[in-house]
Amino acid sequence: MSDATLTSPAVEPVVQPEPPRPHDAGSLISMRNIWKTYEMGSEKVHALHGVSFDIPKGEYIAIIGPSGSGKSTLMNLIGCLDTPSQGEYWLNAKNVSEMDDDELARIRNQEVGFVFQTFNLLARATALHNVELPLIYGGVSSAQRHEMAKKALAAVDLTDRMMHRPNELSGGQRQRVAIARALVNHPSILLADEPTGALDSRTSMEIMDLFERLHSEGNTIIVVTHEPDVAARAHRVVSIRDGLIEKDEKSR
Amino acid sequence: MRTALTLVGIVVGVAAVIAVVTIIQGLDNKVANTFSSQGSTVFTISKRPQIIRSREEFIKFNKRKDVTDEDAEAITRLCTSCWRVGVAANARETIKQGDQQMENFTVRGVTPITMFDIDGRTIDVGRIWTEEEGDSGREICVVGSDVVTNLFGGASADQVLGREIKVAGRPFQIVGVLESLGSIFGASRDSVAYIPYSTYQKLYGARDSIVVMIQVPAAEQLESAQDQVRTIMRNRRGLTFGEVEDEGFSLETQDVFLDLYGKATSNIYIVTIAVAAISLVVGGIVVMNIMLVSVTERTKEIGIRKALGARRKDILTQFLIEAVAVTAIGGGIGVLTGFGLAYLIAALIGFPLLMSVGSAVLGVGVSSLVGIVSGLWPAWRAARLDPIEALRAE
Repeated sequence: MSDATLTSPAVEPVVQPEPPRPHDAGSLISMRNIWKTYEMGSEKVHALHGVSFDIPKGEYIAIIGPSGSGKSTLMNLIGCLDTPSQGEYWLNAKNVSEMDDDELARIRNQEVGFVFQTFNLLARATALHNVELPLIYGGVSSAQRHEMAKKALAAVDLTDRMMHRPNELSGGQRQRVAIARALVNHPSILLADEPTGALDSRTSMEIMDLFERLHSEGNTIIVVTHEPDVAARAHRVVSIRDGLIEKDEKSR
Repeated sequence: MRTALTLVGIVVGVAAVIAVVTIIQGLDNKVANTFSSQGSTVFTISKRPQIIRSREEFIKFNKRKDVTDEDAEAITRLCTSCWRVGVAANARETIKQGDQQMENFTVRGVTPITMFDIDGRTIDVGRIWTEEEGDSGREICVVGSDVVTNLFGGASADQVLGREIKVAGRPFQIVGVLESLGSIFGASRDSVAYIPYSTYQKLYGARDSIVVMIQVPAAEQLESAQDQVRTIMRNRRGLTFGEVEDEGFSLETQDVFLDLYGKATSNIYIVTIAVAAISLVVGGIVVMNIMLVSVTERTKEIGIRKALGARRKDILTQFLIEAVAVTAIGGGIGVLTGFGLAYLIAALIGFPLLMSVGSAVLGVGVSSLVGIVSGLWPAWRAARLDPIEALRAE
């Protein structure tokens, strides 16, 4: 979210993307010929021009690319914060591309766990309440909410910090609260945007170790980053440049 | 602090309404009690009505013939629906005892002694004069409790029996003291001395018209008694049936006071409601302004909540609840302030308060409504924020 999303000039792309295949019902994420076009006054700017890829369940994938490559736009689409101008996006067998605001909110609540660069915790709420937040919007009962949030905080080793507010926690602890919040609803994907961007290198290592552990426990993790070190921890790296997938390689 | 300032308008509005409603309800109660002591079984025949609205009216009424003892006598004789008939005349007088005096004091000449019942007065200590004493024009009186307090400072009611007060320079012996009725609208109902009507005539002559007071046994007979008395009086004035410009006398019940009172309080209500409405509207605009600022300041939070799955209506509800909570608290403070104000005013003027739960509920309810109305637009703006834009905010 930190880099600009719009760079491509207002010209139709010369290279036609690969012909779209029907979406893969076996994949957790299936994107088909995704376009995102912004209208800047009279000009049309294409942030993505026909991106297609699949992410199977349980994968640990990094999306990399320079500023303005369109990776933030792609992340917003994956996270269901936005819908594509064109193309189909299937998430956990649901066609997200056609949904309205409230349906998207529901999908974000149930299917997506966000981890942000700047943590984005509610400053006035305790760690426990922050973790409970998605459950409130999911309509979970108060008692159950409490139970689930405690469990999620225990999973990131923060049981003894539950009643602390974000300003009483270190950066690493805050990010772990955010991760607990992202996972508390058992979403289909954990979507992390520069998760170590605001952390020192030692804490970054801890967070990356935590991601690795969560992956080994069966979570599907998507990390958007421009740091090669962070990308290297993933098992598959997708490079975005000028609104297109430049490279898509499995590293392990 | 900012919230406190926000609430001033709402607090003032609600406090004004609560104070006025509480005071007027207290007054209503007092008035109802006061007039029911006399009841709706009494009506009067007089030369002038009790309320004169203009100079023209005053002149018109002054041209009427006096109501006389003969009129009273005719009513007593001819009116079959009437139960008690009495005659009363009032004078404003200064009364003295030793070096103490009371000015602008009511001296009320009455006959017969059932007038005390018609007036709804009872004896505290002592007695009423006998019919013989009354008819013989003796200088005796039955006084209200203010006389005891003001002229015989410190004495108890039974100690003043047999003592004398000077009325128009003449010594009057106190034979009885009346039960206190308290005051209404700041005027004491105990600053009065009753004297026999024959004595009153000796003292003041027949210089003014008298008032004939008629009581019926029960409110149901009031109308037929009034019809009879009206017919008797018209006959005595030489009027035939049918429409005439002026009957030459005024037939009234205590309702005229209640009507006047009702008009006066409804005017007060209207003014108060106008003041309250203005301050609530202003208060509402201020709340709306503060809510808009709050939405702007908390854009990031809204973005976070939306990313985590808050729907539009969740955000809308959240901000509406906040607006309502703030204004309801303001309303609560207003209710307490209003009651406090009413209590102070009541203590100063001296009448009983009637604090009703209903007006408290109304106060909080109306201010909550202001919260909903003024929170709606800010909440709606918050609800339709784009989550990506909102998350980017600082």
